Amino acid sequence: MKKKLIVAAVLAAACVLPAHAATLGDGNLSISGFGTLGVAKTNTDDVRFVRYNQAAGVGDSPRIGLDSNLGLQASYSMTPALSATLQVLSRKSTSEQFTTELTWGFLKYKLNDETSVRLGRTVIPAFLISDYQNVGYANTMMRPPIELYGQEPLESVDGADLNWQHSFGDNNVTAQGFVGKSSGKLFVAAGGGSVTHYDAPAYGFAVTAEHGPLTVRAAHMRAKIEVNDFTLLNNLTDSLARFGFAQLANDMTVKGGKKMRFTSVGMTLDWQNIVAQAEYAQRRAQDAVYIPQSNSWYAMAGYRFGKVLPYYAHSHTNGAEQKIKPPLLPAALAVPVASFLSAPAQGTDLIGLRWDCAKSLALKVQYDRVKPSAKSGTLVYGPAVYSRTVNVIAAGVDFVF
Amino acid sequence: MKKIPSILIAAALGGALLPASAEIVVIVNKDNPATRMFSEQASQFFLGKSAMFTPIDQGEGSKIRTEFYQKIADKDPAQVKAIWSKLVFTGKATPPREFKSNNDVKKAVADDPKAIGYIDKSAVDESVKVILTLP
Repeated sequence: MKKKLIVAAVLAAACVLPAHAATLGDGNLSISGFGTLGVAKTNTDDVRFVRYNQAAGVGDSPRIGLDSNLGLQASYSMTPALSATLQVLSRKSTSEQFTTELTWGFLKYKLNDETSVRLGRTVIPAFLISDYQNVGYANTMMRPPIELYGQEPLESVDGADLNWQHSFGDNNVTAQGFVGKSSGKLFVAAGGGSVTHYDAPAYGFAVTAEHGPLTVRAAHMRAKIEVNDFTLLNNLTDSLARFGFAQLANDMTVKGGKKMRFTSVGMTLDWQNIVAQAEYAQRRAQDAVYIPQSNSWYAMAGYRFGKVLPYYAHSHTNGAEQKIKPPLLPAALAVPVASFLSAPAQGTDLIGLRWDCAKSLALKVQYDRVKPSAKSGTLVYGPAVYSRTVNVIAAGVDFVF
Repeated sequence: MKKIPSILIAAALGGALLPASAEIVVIVNKDNPATRMFSEQASQFFLGKSAMFTPIDQGEGSKIRTEFYQKIADKDPAQVKAIWSKLVFTGKATPPREFKSNNDVKKAVADDPKAIGYIDKSAVDESVKVILTLP
């Protein structure tokens, strides 16, 4: 039922709204939106392919839940300097159903032409496309490469950020710093699937420099991630403590919070007809914690033939040095401990096509070959170790209004 | 590129047959101290890279708008829309206000000391200042 509703809503939005003006209201209020109606399937039911933090995912039968979403945004300018923005997003996330959440909700005050502050909820700019990864129309690829975008679990932060934009001759520099508290749900696929809740004070910055068609960006963020209801992990650390491995239990747990840091460098190029995008990211644990350290990267290249843009990308993640070196354990504990502490690894080759077929409408098809190489990669609901290649085929329409 | 021969022929015939290839001029408020601007600089405001000036757009889908972005930034309407989508849906900027005619754009620029717009060269009058001509 809900599926039908969102399809209807998306189609209605795609077909009806663009026919009207993009802006409604008295000139101070603007209503806009974006969305994707996509369908995807893989070639196997052994495992499921998911977006990051997504419960449903997709197997060997076509599903719209992998890539479809609908975002609605309202902005209101009280004065030339002061404005308010709200954005809600419907998608399949940590629930099997489509759910709607507040993704952005802030008051923005322009201190001058170059500087503004925002108070409220903003999306964490951890990676290159983090803050517009749900806007299909603004992206070349069908979805953010999960190998990299799955490394950072926090999406938004309730707090404040400062944005600064300045031109040095032909170069534009923007800098963003944020501080606040992130909280939300994390989906745990292991053990049949469960949802945990996290709180994480976080801060970080992103610096972007643009020179003509080339944009380069660096970002760093730190967060103290606290999860108290991760039953699978809590059961294990309770057992460890009971059998005299209290230190290891304290090292692994995320009860009470553990500090992590995330660093990334990325670039985009849009030169003549050549389109490229690449990024490298590191996930590191500052405190001892079960969450594996990782390195990940992707590179995409495409060529624009008028309104048609075919592209290819490779994306990869693997573990970095293991933070915790466990002592010799009884086998019944050693196996689950090793499983928690080891990082998944996976590489994906993908080809796709974006066709800007009509005003404010882009049609995309994408074919991914996903190759897990440690654990089951980012694939879920399968065996603990899965190393077969999974093919994912997807088609969708991105729109903005 | 295919248009060149027909443009040459039409030019040889006298140019009057060619309203489509009219020059576009970038205009600012008369109080704006700027006197000249390069294409790259002007494009910054229309692509949301700088907020020093406030861009004023022509109507979506209009011929002059399509030509303007092609000439100033070598981008088609879909590319421009994608660039603005990134800014709008991350709360970084609001898209330019749109006006349906050269006269309305001219009036909006004349009314706002920070505005920058573009119109057909033939529509220029003393209410605004031309800082760039796009052939």
